[in-house]
Amino acid sequence: MKNRIAFAFLLIANSMPALAQWQKYATPGVPRDAQGRVQMDARTPRTAAGKPDLSGNWVRGDRDPLPQELAGVVARGAGDSGAVVVEPRAAPFPPDPNAPPLATFFDLGANIPGGLPYTPWAADLKKARMATNNKDNPDANCLPMGITQFHMQPQPRKIVQTANLILILYEANYGIRYIYTDGRKLPPQGDPLAWWYGYSVGHWEGDTLVVETNNLRGAETSANDGWLDVRGSPYSEQAHFTERFRRPTFGKLEIDVKVEDPKSYTKPFTVRINQRFVDEEPIEFVCNENQQFRQRIKVD
Amino acid sequence: MNKPLFFLASLALMFAAAAPVVAHHSFAAEFDASKPANLKGTVTKVEWQNPHAWFYMDVTDDSGKVSNWGVEMGSPNGLMRAGWNKNSLKIGDVIIVEGSRAKDGSNHANARFVTLASTGKKLFADSSQGQ
Repeated sequence: MKNRIAFAFLLIANSMPALAQWQKYATPGVPRDAQGRVQMDARTPRTAAGKPDLSGNWVRGDRDPLPQELAGVVARGAGDSGAVVVEPRAAPFPPDPNAPPLATFFDLGANIPGGLPYTPWAADLKKARMATNNKDNPDANCLPMGITQFHMQPQPRKIVQTANLILILYEANYGIRYIYTDGRKLPPQGDPLAWWYGYSVGHWEGDTLVVETNNLRGAETSANDGWLDVRGSPYSEQAHFTERFRRPTFGKLEIDVKVEDPKSYTKPFTVRINQRFVDEEPIEFVCNENQQFRQRIKVD
Repeated sequence: MNKPLFFLASLALMFAAAAPVVAHHSFAAEFDASKPANLKGTVTKVEWQNPHAWFYMDVTDDSGKVSNWGVEMGSPNGLMRAGWNKNSLKIGDVIIVEGSRAKDGSNHANARFVTLASTGKKLFADSSQGQ
């Protein structure tokens, strides 16, 4: 009897969040085991043309440690009394000895010896941004983020790959990137306009998708432009990004991002951003619906 | 495994399956981590809206004066993934909030935990900063 009550309680407890969640739907074509779990180590899916198919729902593969200023202020997980785990606990991917330094969300260059190679202009700008508690962080202001911040934002993203166009649909700020793979060339830098997402073209080098982006709005354009990370490492209107995407297994996407921006960095640098396949869809996120942040910003 | 442990493990698993929290804004520009907000009161309004859900509550101080407070939580998507929905908090519910006060001194706070006074059930607030 006691067991039955416990079982019933368990059943109810387990069914409650399911009711509250976004509809679960098992996406066709996803390799699963007998329990329905995604087989993360399954083979890389391929298109009819034989290229790796990067399509799928992804979340960042690595988490930063909680920054010191937020320790004890926010509930984050099992270690925090009474809290529950909300970001999926997954074993980190094994270290890749050939990978460039792993990027972190708060500080892109945290794992680069000596940090990012800021020019004096960029170092001063980052300092000024941090002095105002990063109030102009585009994420906080419901504006599009820089490429690296978008890739590492905790909200999921969906990649849709077609022969001539690859879309990255970010839940964060409901962002959309168009990556043209139809053979067109990058427009000349500064022509005709600069955009939040820049202009991106991609081509395949073997199993690697190489995406180049220029014509980005930069830190000169507005206070909310040109952010690589939460702490405000800048990029300028001169920035050129090269992203190399690989999907070595079904469940892992590796993105090596090279940043060339002589105004902000004394030399180019490259960081690795891993993505993990997630059995869950992004959800509509219309950020500016009830934005109250800007009403209450207070700078000391 | 004994039963209570099994139950706890099952609970942990249930939430472990949920998806990421939103790191949305710059906490320190809006809230003061050194000024805790410990509030008990009655829910008067719920705004289940982006980018952060807000609810409002009437708090009565020792002298009997009632003031209305606005409390910020995470995004509706994040809350939904953590098992909340827009009916989890209802107008008239008596709740206890643990969080941080707004820097501008107004009656606003960021919730770290919300506890239902009637049951003692601690509801995770999906505080926007957990990243």
